[in-house]
Amino acid sequence: MSTTYSPRQARHAVAPPGRRRSPAGAVLLLGWAGVAAVLALWWQDTGAVVGPADWLIGAGRIAGLLTGYSCALLVGLMARVPVLEQGVGSDRVARWHASLGRYTGCLLLAHITLILWGYAVQSHTGVVGETTTVVLTYPEMVKGTIGGLLLLVIGLVSARAVRGKFRYETWYYLHLLTYLAVFLAFWHQLALGADFSTHPLARGFWYALYVSAAAAVLWYRIAVPMRLNLRHRLRVASVVREAPDVVSVVVHGRRLSELAARPGQFLRWRFLAPGLWWTATPYSLSAAPRPEMLRITVKAVGDHSAALIRLRPGTRVWAEGPYGALTADRRTRRKVLLLAGGVGVTPLRALFESLPARPGDLTLIYRARTADDLALRYELETIARLRGARVHYVLNQADGRSPRLTADLLGGIVPDVAEHDVYLCGPPGMAQAAYQVLRSAGVPAHHIHHESFEL
Amino acid sequence: MNAPSSRPLRRVLLSTLTTVGGVLLLLGLKPHVTTGAAGAVTQSAAPFPTPSASGTSPTGGSSSASGTRTVEGDTVQTRYGPVQLKITLRAGKISAVSAVQLPDQNPRDQEIDNFAVPQLTQEALAAQSANIDTVSGATYTSQGYIQSLQSALDKAGG
Amino acid sequence: MAAETRLRRVEPIMGTVFSFDVRGAGPRATAALEDATAWLHHMDEVFSTYRPDSQISRLAAGTLALSACSPDVWEVLRLCEAAERRSDGWFSARYAGAFDPTGLVKGWAVERAAAMLSSAGADAVCVNGGGDVQVHGGRWRIGVTDPLRKGGLVTVVQAEGELAVATSGPAERGCHIVDPHTGRPPAAPLASLTVICRTLTDADAYATAGYAMGDRARPWLESLPGTRSFAITADGAAWTTGEQR
Repeated sequence: MSTTYSPRQARHAVAPPGRRRSPAGAVLLLGWAGVAAVLALWWQDTGAVVGPADWLIGAGRIAGLLTGYSCALLVGLMARVPVLEQGVGSDRVARWHASLGRYTGCLLLAHITLILWGYAVQSHTGVVGETTTVVLTYPEMVKGTIGGLLLLVIGLVSARAVRGKFRYETWYYLHLLTYLAVFLAFWHQLALGADFSTHPLARGFWYALYVSAAAAVLWYRIAVPMRLNLRHRLRVASVVREAPDVVSVVVHGRRLSELAARPGQFLRWRFLAPGLWWTATPYSLSAAPRPEMLRITVKAVGDHSAALIRLRPGTRVWAEGPYGALTADRRTRRKVLLLAGGVGVTPLRALFESLPARPGDLTLIYRARTADDLALRYELETIARLRGARVHYVLNQADGRSPRLTADLLGGIVPDVAEHDVYLCGPPGMAQAAYQVLRSAGVPAHHIHHESFEL
Repeated sequence: MNAPSSRPLRRVLLSTLTTVGGVLLLLGLKPHVTTGAAGAVTQSAAPFPTPSASGTSPTGGSSSASGTRTVEGDTVQTRYGPVQLKITLRAGKISAVSAVQLPDQNPRDQEIDNFAVPQLTQEALAAQSANIDTVSGATYTSQGYIQSLQSALDKAGG
Repeated sequence: MAAETRLRRVEPIMGTVFSFDVRGAGPRATAALEDATAWLHHMDEVFSTYRPDSQISRLAAGTLALSACSPDVWEVLRLCEAAERRSDGWFSARYAGAFDPTGLVKGWAVERAAAMLSSAGADAVCVNGGGDVQVHGGRWRIGVTDPLRKGGLVTVVQAEGELAVATSGPAERGCHIVDPHTGRPPAAPLASLTVICRTLTDADAYATAGYAMGDRARPWLESLPGTRSFAITADGAAWTTGEQR
């Protein structure tokens, strides 16, 4: 493929912009403010706590309120809201969602246990009898029970230990059932939630919370992608085999400049071909986006990525995005080091091409197993030559041992690494190790920009 | 900023302790004595919250020449659902109260009904020999009390 | 183990006399007794139909909106409504054509006062509001007066734990309970009807409704769960319902 790089685009060095503040802090603050509001609601509605039954029921109610609140947050986090996906970063948002999800599962268990136990103590019956009564006779509880059980099962299945046993697609579709579970469980919160029956304001707040989350999902996960795809009409233009198990897919579309994709970002791609249409997988752009084309480069690691080689030109593509915060916006210094591990080279390849830098200020270190695994090697060297940037490969030893990326090794290649902005992208193990090394080499934490692919 | 996370066990422990501690604190700060204040949570009574203080005047009602008025109050959201009562007033007195809207019978109340009542002794007894603590009977007035068994018990006292 | 502190008190409220008996009273119980008494007086002010400035009176006069009444008023009105439904209309908060919730108010207030004392850490609490009794905690022996023999008892109820005993009848104040369907005293009036169950609001309401029913009371009372009743007929015979089978 010729002309993957156009020298004119990034010749002049621009003064690096000031550090752009991530909205993560504001988002977290908002989340915690909601927690405070929810607890204040409980506080205002509860009078005396007398006797063990009241303690149990009180704790159960608090757990229930927090569970309801976090379910709305969980839905909202995954709604693909731009301020989250691009401002905070898709990977970070996904991690928030995962840890909050685990916590919510525990809260849910606590809520169920404490409420049933508390009710049983209060009415001097056994827990089993009480459970039957609650589930079968209380308003909206059959739905609530199904929703709760569904959430617990999904939570269990999502646990790392169990998830590996399923194909990604199976797990993904199961996880979609959380929307149903949350919907089912919502009604019992209003019908039985002692704290809602008392204030119209509280009910209003709860409705607003859930309606906003639902609206965000409907808008950003359904309406916006629909508009995007109808406007841009993406199609596969060609498929290029870069290496034995690495393939590039070039996608053409209309008005791509309006997509506003930036180098370093990724989209979620759904190729409308047999066997591929039912998953949307995130792949980074492996070249700076052009007005007429987008390109991704994929390493065959699973059924899905292996099937891409068989894509036929003309296949329609449904994309969502662009997402990701690993862009030129995060840059704070003149000198930049791009540190890529394996498949992480793709977004960095796009940045390597387009990040404004003077000759000598831009370095790419590419960590791979063997020379054959270096995808896009020719392009990288061409760009380096034209831009006065440097490319270094760090490969396994001849006997197969992987070199430890030490501070010494790093210092040998980039002596003044402490004065660089570092963009880091690779598999979690490698990224973690590299991060430690960078820190120990004196690079401040806020100069390391990282995106992990464990979405 | 974007550091890969480490030490998950420590985070789990920390978040568990914080949550449990927080909940216990919240519960502990509440009074542990049933009070007469509005909104107290007691098992048998289902207290209503303080309704909005706007005190809207009674929404109009039908009235007839004999001075009967019905007043439908606002709907109040209670612990168990919406309640709306209608009162019928006649010549300055409430003559009837009916519900326009009631929550479903509180399931908690229904359950609490099931408990075992004690046996009764059925012999005719003299109060002195029965060694009782208190007496139940038809309601006495303050005057009637003076001659009642209860007052004798209260005086004997201790 | 706390010393056997016993607290007793007699207080005229709501046109009758309340007797308090608290066993094993700690320091909080003394304060709670003060609170409970003050609260009962306050309830008297809110509900008394004899005072023109009580909430009930102002509600009737139209000078106070229902939504501006205190939560306790809503509570009592709701309970009256519920009692009326549960008793198919035989319980009626009406007297002489006027809405008079004071019958239910008394039982409800006694129940609440007893709860206040019990939750303040007393070992055992007994509150007797003009003949309607609510107990909590330890052993209590509650006698039931004989309507036909002044100063005598017909039975003793031995309570272990939470229990309420309410008695309806004409023995003290004349027949003030009417059959709501006819507006007149019941056709075959009992001398007295005592209802025993867990909470006094219910016991009071059932006793009133049952008394109004006359001889229809027995099957109805038998159908109520967790309730025992004891009646003395006009000619001195007795029957009970709710026996353990």
